[in-house]
Amino acid sequence: MGRILIVDDTLFMRTLLKNILSSGGHEIVGEAEDGDIGVTKYRELKPDLVTMDVVMPKMNGIEALKAIKALDANAKVIMCTAVGQEQMVKLAIKSGARGYIVKPFQAPKVLEEIGNVLGA
Amino acid sequence: MAEVPAKLEKGGSWVTSRIDIGNDGIVLKDPWNVTVSYRSIVDLQKRGQMITLLVSMPDKTERPYKIASVEKVLTIVTKKIIMACNAYRIMAHFMSPAIRGGVLVTDAKWEKGAIAVLKTGIWFVSQDKQISVPLKEVASLELTKRELQKKKLDVIKIDHLEGGEVVTSFILCPLSTLQVLYNFLRDATKDMDMKGSELDQLDAQTAQVAMLIYSGMDTKSIENMLSLPPEELNAIYETLLKLKLVDVVMVRKEVQLTPKGVRYITDALKPPS
Repeated sequence: MGRILIVDDTLFMRTLLKNILSSGGHEIVGEAEDGDIGVTKYRELKPDLVTMDVVMPKMNGIEALKAIKALDANAKVIMCTAVGQEQMVKLAIKSGARGYIVKPFQAPKVLEEIGNVLGA
Repeated sequence: MAEVPAKLEKGGSWVTSRIDIGNDGIVLKDPWNVTVSYRSIVDLQKRGQMITLLVSMPDKTERPYKIASVEKVLTIVTKKIIMACNAYRIMAHFMSPAIRGGVLVTDAKWEKGAIAVLKTGIWFVSQDKQISVPLKEVASLELTKRELQKKKLDVIKIDHLEGGEVVTSFILCPLSTLQVLYNFLRDATKDMDMKGSELDQLDAQTAQVAMLIYSGMDTKSIENMLSLPPEELNAIYETLLKLKLVDVVMVRKEVQLTPKGVRYITDALKPPS
């Protein structure tokens, strides 16, 4: 089980992810509504894993991912994006993302992916 | 002709028999003793170690034949049928599954093969893979673009249900063919399209509830997440049910203790004398 930081600009998606991850026994150590706050919270909280939305105001998910990787090269970040933005996958993976979740998603698969990344 | 062992069904009974797999058709031995040409086959369904062929007869009726055998035999028969049966068929590249439950399948790759649209399903067949997607399980179809070898290419994206999971597959072929296939698939699955009058009944909150159901949330979680009283959520469920967007899988009961129940609990909590 891991300590997880959720970064997403919509309250609905944050609540959904929080619910799914809590049901899988994970601890939600923090939430952030944009990439900038996400990076700050990563520095403060040192979570085991971050779920990161791609399209966000101020700092987007890819920029936030790069900033987090600059702080901690071993950071485990899973990107989360809407259908039709799958072309971002390569860029995210190249930037150090450990996994990719496409919205809408299903709870068991999300937990499986999180478990795989935390166990890796 | 290659003769292989199989079990054939007739009148509800299975008979240990043999089948001959030829270039133009398949011979079903005892109890049928018929030759079925591949061109007369209009549908093929596979379930476990069994396939069901639907054959168009000369009198315009259709007759099902069920064949059970080992996976190796079924793979050969399926490939022969898909490549020669009476169906809309194109040569194309496909990636299936590409996304499962919203998570990218890490070892997904493009396969070169054939796509065939039969009466009840879409078949993807390549050297290594045979995948069937029942048309009734197709949730959405979209013409979109996908990057391949640094080029953005047109693809068809198919979302379908598989054992309760939403699976996404992609089909890639020349645009003109892709458009024809897309139209063909749209037509074959048009019963799933939402009408304008149906869409009018779906407000933002109903859409959020549907999204939470998709993600696997139960009723209690949805009530908590959206701060909805049970009556309001029930009304939203009724709308979704009326539009055939959901099925009832379980009816939960809310209960309270009767006086007998209260006495039982009170007694149970008394210290032993």
